[in-house]
Amino acid sequence: MMRGALSLASRLLGRRGGRLEEAPLTGRGFQAILVLALLAASLPIILSYTLLVELSFSSTLIMSPFQKTQFTLENWRLFLEGKLAPTAARIYSPAYIRSMIVNTLIVAAGVTVVVIAASAPAAYALSRLRFRFRAATLRFLILLHAFPGVALIIGVYAVYVYLYKRLFVGGLLPKEYLLLYSFAYVIVARASLEVPMSTWILKGFFDRVPWEVEWAALVDGASRLRTFWQVMLPLIKPGLAAVAIFAFMAGWEELIYVVVFLPREAPTLASFIHYQLSGGSLEASYLPVVAAAATVYLIPTILFFVFTQKLLLEAAHGGLKA
Amino acid sequence: MPGSRSWAPALFLSIMGFLVVAFYLLPLLLTVWASFTPIRDWRVESLGKSVGLDNYRRLFYLIRHDPDMGKVLETTVVFVSGTLLVNVVGGFLLAVAAFLLDERVSLGFRLLWLLPRMTPVAVFGLLWYYFFHGNGMFVHFLQALGLLEGPTWIGQDQRFLPWGAWFIIIFVNGLVGVSYGMIIFYSAFKSIPRDIYMAALVDGARLRDIILKIMVPLTRWHIIFVTVWQLLSLLTTYAHLYVLVEWRVVDKWYGMTWSLYVFETAFGSTVSDQALAAAAAVILIVVGIGLGLATLRIMGFERELKPVRGDI
Repeated sequence: MMRGALSLASRLLGRRGGRLEEAPLTGRGFQAILVLALLAASLPIILSYTLLVELSFSSTLIMSPFQKTQFTLENWRLFLEGKLAPTAARIYSPAYIRSMIVNTLIVAAGVTVVVIAASAPAAYALSRLRFRFRAATLRFLILLHAFPGVALIIGVYAVYVYLYKRLFVGGLLPKEYLLLYSFAYVIVARASLEVPMSTWILKGFFDRVPWEVEWAALVDGASRLRTFWQVMLPLIKPGLAAVAIFAFMAGWEELIYVVVFLPREAPTLASFIHYQLSGGSLEASYLPVVAAAATVYLIPTILFFVFTQKLLLEAAHGGLKA
Repeated sequence: MPGSRSWAPALFLSIMGFLVVAFYLLPLLLTVWASFTPIRDWRVESLGKSVGLDNYRRLFYLIRHDPDMGKVLETTVVFVSGTLLVNVVGGFLLAVAAFLLDERVSLGFRLLWLLPRMTPVAVFGLLWYYFFHGNGMFVHFLQALGLLEGPTWIGQDQRFLPWGAWFIIIFVNGLVGVSYGMIIFYSAFKSIPRDIYMAALVDGARLRDIILKIMVPLTRWHIIFVTVWQLLSLLTTYAHLYVLVEWRVVDKWYGMTWSLYVFETAFGSTVSDQALAAAAAVILIVVGIGLGLATLRIMGFERELKPVRGDI
């Protein structure tokens, strides 16, 4: 308790809690050289992200962040009004732009729900229940995670086509449900790719919950299901949050599955940017408008980044701490 | 374990189990199956017919006689080994720098280097589309150094092929992948008792000795793990390569690795030959399972090392 309070205090105070933090191993001069070297190495990253955002506010097509240009909101206006290219065929409506953002959100939220629903109970079983093949299942999940996605997507799409023919060509469902089918399929298919690793991460969180907590519930007569739902799940909220964030980001950023499974008329931000640029057909004058779209697309990433720094660094390799 | 509770594991594992069967095992079987059938243009009815080993024969014929296929193989070897080197060595150096720096500065840099991994593929592709644009920052940079005259797409220009395209695909994927090693190595360095570093410093050890005689040997399993895992990831990754090729940032064939070839053959706008793609995918599956098993063995050696997230 006391140590926790102290470390919290030192974290809040930052440097002022200095004695609790470790001093760096090297001297100030060396630190300065290191920082300069790292800055130089980071230059492409810094410059390219800066350029993207700057370009979206720029009156001309600038190609480096240092080029002179005038600040304008014109690109944003064009983007939000759906005016992306000079030819009439490519002028979209504001509703279209909105639906694109909504589509991206649907996929991201759907993936999150499926990932949590599948991996939380599985992780609980793998952490707490004794059954045959438990260790084998855990190992198998790692193999699945390592599996070449491109080999899977052929089979996954074949099933999609087969079901499509049975459901829609065979007349089991009216055509109006086609879009719903595509979205549901892309969500579940994409979520499945996240499930093995999410299960592993959540298992780590369940492992850290003391057994006594669970025994108390079971001894009091709660069923396994109830213990899981009412006792264990609330205790691993940070883990659920972490997994949910990663699942959301995975759905949010997905390009390949969206391009493959969703029709062109239902683009997400990813496939929209992709369609603008593929084949190298876009007129250069509209690149700033695409930059505006990409900046919108980047916003959740940046938000998650700012609010979950520590989580990201700890979770990016699965070494999550509860 | 009382029999009354034996339903519990099955119940808790049911949703995951369904997804694993429907989206891993079944597709895997289908892909392997498809490689023995004449399926094209997604006519799934063709999955009922068999052509024996024809698709494999076609694949090996192409490997031997099609110059484009030769480019794909060359690109795969150069891309995987080049990016692997960047990811492991670069990740190690970044981790050393981050470890030696004051925590606040270090945190900033680690986050900055994680940004590419977290950025949506379409946006990340766009960043480098601008950067390697025929009139982009990189070309301006080369012009300023006097290495280049006039605007040109480095990844497409015949004068610079194949290395122009290879440089770009290694650069872009290296930026995404390097943070993986950085994070693993950084936490490995942190887990070495601080006294060891201190003792070495007190004894007058130089930084080079600390790196070579303490950090490298004590993290050797991490290094092996990152190398094998990255090797597997790089063999199977294709999303970033896909946008670079489709957006014409790089040459089609010198930007295409084996896994992108599988994807383009199955889903491409010009070819839609799922049978051939499946045969090529089976080779990837065999390699993937082998490397995956190797990773498991390494993780057995280093129990504390948790499994990992991230595609590259």
